[in-house]
Amino acid sequence: MTKSAIRLALLSALTAVTLTLSGCWDIKDINHRALPILMGIKQIDQDYKVFLLVPQAGQNNMNLNVISEAGDTINEALDDINKNTERKVDLLHLKVIVFERSFAEKGLEESIASFMRARDIPNKTFAAISDGELEPLFEKLKTSSASGGLEIYNYFEKNAGWTPDVAQTRIWEVYRSINSYTRDVVIPMIKPGHTTPIMSTGGAIIKNGKMVGSIDSEEALLYNLFKGMGTHGKIEVMNQAAVKIVSGRLSQSSRMDGDQPVMNSRLRLKVTVLETRGSTAEAEIKHEIDEMLSMRYRKMLRASQDKEADILGFGQYFRGKLSRDDLQSWRSIYYPRMKLNFRVQVLIQDEGLLKTRR
Amino acid sequence: MDKSRQVVVMYLISHIGLIFFLYPADIIASLSVGHWSAILFGFVCHVAMLAIFTKGLGCFDALNVIDIFQGVGKIFAFFTLLPVLLYFVMILIIAVRAYSEIVTEIFLGETPLWTIMLLFVAVSTFISLLGIESIFRTGVLVALLFLPLLLFVLVLSFQNADWHYVLPLIDRQAASFSYVIGRPYLQSLFAFVGGFMFLGFVPSHVPFKGRYVVGASFLLLPMFLVSVYVPLLTFGENTASRFPFPFIMAVDTVSISWLMFDRVTMFFMLSLICFLLLFLALVMWNTIQMLKRGLPFIRPAAANILLAALVLVFCLLIPNWQLVERLLWWNTSLRLYAAIVIPCLTLALGMRHRRKGVVQP
Amino acid sequence: MNMLPFLQARKELDSDLFLHRMLLPPHAVILAGFNSLIDLPQTILMLQQQAQSAVAVDNPLLALGSGIGSAMKDPTERTIWDAIAEGHLVVLSESSDRCIKIVPVGRSLSRAIESPSTENVLRGAISAFNEDLDTNIGLVKKHMLSEQLRIRPYIFGQDQRRRTVLLYMEGKVHEHLLRSILRKIESRKATDIPDLQALSDLLGFPKWTLFTRFNTTELPQDAAYALRNGKAVLLLDRFPFAVVLPSLLSDMYISENDRNSPSVFRLFFQVLRILGILTNILMPGLYVALVSVNPEVLRIELALSIAGSREGVPYPALIETLLMLFVLELTLESSIRLPKSIGPTITMIGGIILGQAVVQAKLVSNILIIVLAATTIANFTVIGFHNANAIRLYKYLLLVLSAMYGVLGLFVGIVLICAYLGHVNSFGIPYLSRWKTGGRNG
Repeated sequence: MTKSAIRLALLSALTAVTLTLSGCWDIKDINHRALPILMGIKQIDQDYKVFLLVPQAGQNNMNLNVISEAGDTINEALDDINKNTERKVDLLHLKVIVFERSFAEKGLEESIASFMRARDIPNKTFAAISDGELEPLFEKLKTSSASGGLEIYNYFEKNAGWTPDVAQTRIWEVYRSINSYTRDVVIPMIKPGHTTPIMSTGGAIIKNGKMVGSIDSEEALLYNLFKGMGTHGKIEVMNQAAVKIVSGRLSQSSRMDGDQPVMNSRLRLKVTVLETRGSTAEAEIKHEIDEMLSMRYRKMLRASQDKEADILGFGQYFRGKLSRDDLQSWRSIYYPRMKLNFRVQVLIQDEGLLKTRR
Repeated sequence: MDKSRQVVVMYLISHIGLIFFLYPADIIASLSVGHWSAILFGFVCHVAMLAIFTKGLGCFDALNVIDIFQGVGKIFAFFTLLPVLLYFVMILIIAVRAYSEIVTEIFLGETPLWTIMLLFVAVSTFISLLGIESIFRTGVLVALLFLPLLLFVLVLSFQNADWHYVLPLIDRQAASFSYVIGRPYLQSLFAFVGGFMFLGFVPSHVPFKGRYVVGASFLLLPMFLVSVYVPLLTFGENTASRFPFPFIMAVDTVSISWLMFDRVTMFFMLSLICFLLLFLALVMWNTIQMLKRGLPFIRPAAANILLAALVLVFCLLIPNWQLVERLLWWNTSLRLYAAIVIPCLTLALGMRHRRKGVVQP
Repeated sequence: MNMLPFLQARKELDSDLFLHRMLLPPHAVILAGFNSLIDLPQTILMLQQQAQSAVAVDNPLLALGSGIGSAMKDPTERTIWDAIAEGHLVVLSESSDRCIKIVPVGRSLSRAIESPSTENVLRGAISAFNEDLDTNIGLVKKHMLSEQLRIRPYIFGQDQRRRTVLLYMEGKVHEHLLRSILRKIESRKATDIPDLQALSDLLGFPKWTLFTRFNTTELPQDAAYALRNGKAVLLLDRFPFAVVLPSLLSDMYISENDRNSPSVFRLFFQVLRILGILTNILMPGLYVALVSVNPEVLRIELALSIAGSREGVPYPALIETLLMLFVLELTLESSIRLPKSIGPTITMIGGIILGQAVVQAKLVSNILIIVLAATTIANFTVIGFHNANAIRLYKYLLLVLSAMYGVLGLFVGIVLICAYLGHVNSFGIPYLSRWKTGGRNG
């Protein structure tokens, strides 16, 4: 065969192959996909019901849709949803998964495991628990949406509307706590707000995937402090004054006193004064904060020690001091016995634009 | 002309392409505490073998392994290098199959496996057809383009690390080195050994100095440590041992609000796959060199394409991940042979050559 | 004398040839030459002046022979014809058999030295090469008054007889390069060089290549800089640019003119150009990959806004991109050929109206327009018009691969392009090599 004939054959083979191969499988344009940002799961007897909040983008506006289906498993419900919508449901942009409280109390292990296994649900999705039923929450979110349903997303996003008394937990952290010897998590509890789309009612204590108790918003602030999540800009109200926490630093040390674990924690807070009632002295403000925080803290610790749920992750500090087998029984044996010495050191950075009495 | 820099870069990127996918899972599975000792042990073995090999090669003036062994005798060369040939072919098959599976799992869900395998094999064949000097130059250019991206993601992957998970540092099981003969650990050695055999085949075309390569291998140690410890620090040993690809899961947990892209994992893995393509091209070229000596009547270009077709056919025959793992296990014995016997033989022959050279006036 | 009938016969075929009878006392002579190449009145004046100054000597023809021209011994038809074709004046003596070849006052057939047409210069010399070979050599010499400069002349071809000159710096040029060039040139002196592709064939470069193995430059200072760096320069007659061998990747983003600015800015511009190249090649492919195959890589706000902008577009992203790229290529191509009077109007129509209307008619999404505008602008940040053309094709390869394999295809395409770049070489000098003082790639 001549050189040009070979070349022609090769070229036509290549072109034919490219034409048949191109664009066959994974191409699905972005406007033909549904990109839900919120998923809600509830359990009715043995069946699961799945809700999805899907934004629909037009040229100049954005609509929100709520889609829901029921099925024997979560995947079956999702398949049903996929079947019944005109677009392909793409869960890769999912931002928050909300569980109903009753479902959380029964145990979230299996669902969390299947979310981690699924390749299309990102493992940095936030987890939340809905205090009441899911339907009103979804309805409220749908009707009050101004920016295309991203309220729930911005609610948890650090750069947007997140405040430090809302716990921020992702699915992989829950999964980690299910398998860990020394750590449990707190999942924020939300419900439809009165004048805002969402309202936070504190946090749920999750031990091994099951909800065993709850903490209120102020305790959630302490929880965030312990996790090192900037208490920037949080208002703390007492009888005499209101201060804003500028920065908080926690230093902890641990030791074993025989068979009893002992934890020494010191919280250094820098605050600015926002409001005072009457004429209050600086020293009084500091004393008040110390007492109030310690009391709140001890109450929270006692509650979680009763439930054997190590939400503040103290077990991590004893990893070097206990052997691995002992760590396995951390929650049941050592943690309830743990003694905590907690002190707050307050530094008033400034007093705003007015002076206070020294 | 000394092209050590190119060789060093190629050495680094072949290893980086292999480390981050399968190595962490194997190490995490082989012991529960004190992983750093396992990593260090493997690394020390690797550096030792590398030093032996390059010293042996350095005794000869720009001769590659085939020439060296053929200097002793053709039959000798044939029998010592035949397992190496098999080893290379197995690496090609395993790597293409495993990485296409990973690609399907992580980003392209719907694309059938054979197209991805076809893409890998076709691109590697194309690159290896261009010749060894082109491969090295391409390696340098690709490294320049992608290494900053890689390092950026590596630094970011520490975002969720909880340093308490480093403790406890060691326990009895780790200290006794009993895990060394365990299956996961031996399997993990593929990240170490797979990469340096190519150094034996290139000196005739690309001369280099061995000590630079050995020095550069110390740059790899942090990579090994990071690839195992980032998932351990993020998840803890219990959780991390449940993942088949722990490092990728750990990078997935990173969330950066100021970047335009949401999933940095994807760019990270794609850079690794690009490094892998170069590695495959290199291995293919080595195999063709060996085939050229063994079967001199086939034209190298035709042999290359035949090899590619063979690899593709074998890959298509593997139906699932279990078989891939089993193949990896079988390959381990070939790998140990290639890693231990060949460098020692090279050094022995090298010493003999030098002594002969000194004696003769 | 026996040449005269031959010349008269040629004059029938070629009316440009003139045969002018003149009296150079005491001889009568016939001047033969091409009217289009010789300025006859000036030449006659010059000859008369010469003849007058030779009056003191008795034999003006002899004076002519030893003064301003050279005597042609045993002239054949072929040599006379060659002399006339080169633009010389042939003086035939009517009485004797002597022919003299004189360099006359020629017509100026080249334009003046102007500024370059395909390159823009900021802060540097603006004179560009023009069609006359001697002017060009002179311009290079002005920039490079070194005693190591070597100039070798050649004449190529049978029909065209193109004069060519090879310049290099003794001691700085790469020996291997010089030897290869000389070998190729001297073995193929009979081939014509009508265009640059023929030159490329003559030097033995492959025909189907995506990179030209030599650079062309319109600026003498760039040619001088190349010479100083050890490259070889070819100047061809009637080509208003210099051909620089070999070409390297660093020529795409490193320019001589940068050296007129401080180092920080020089680095900044180099990085900017490299980013421009990457943007040009990657952007369309990235758009298709992120919109069609892998939208999970985008942030949710961006994903929703792109989805909104694509609402109602009837075909997949790949076709949309190809369509708009096609329109852009047509615009670029036509803008080269537009006469200067219609040009701005068409630009306005193409740019504004087409871009705006096509989005409002929902044929393409407006984000695509932004992407493609950025791509096209980035295309021309590279140095050298031939380089800009070279990288125009790569984005299509990446586009097709992205459509098939998503972001994986994009990265694999980059590897393919890098592999091709690693392979290209001119005379054994690889495209990616570090060249003495400049360059990033080793």
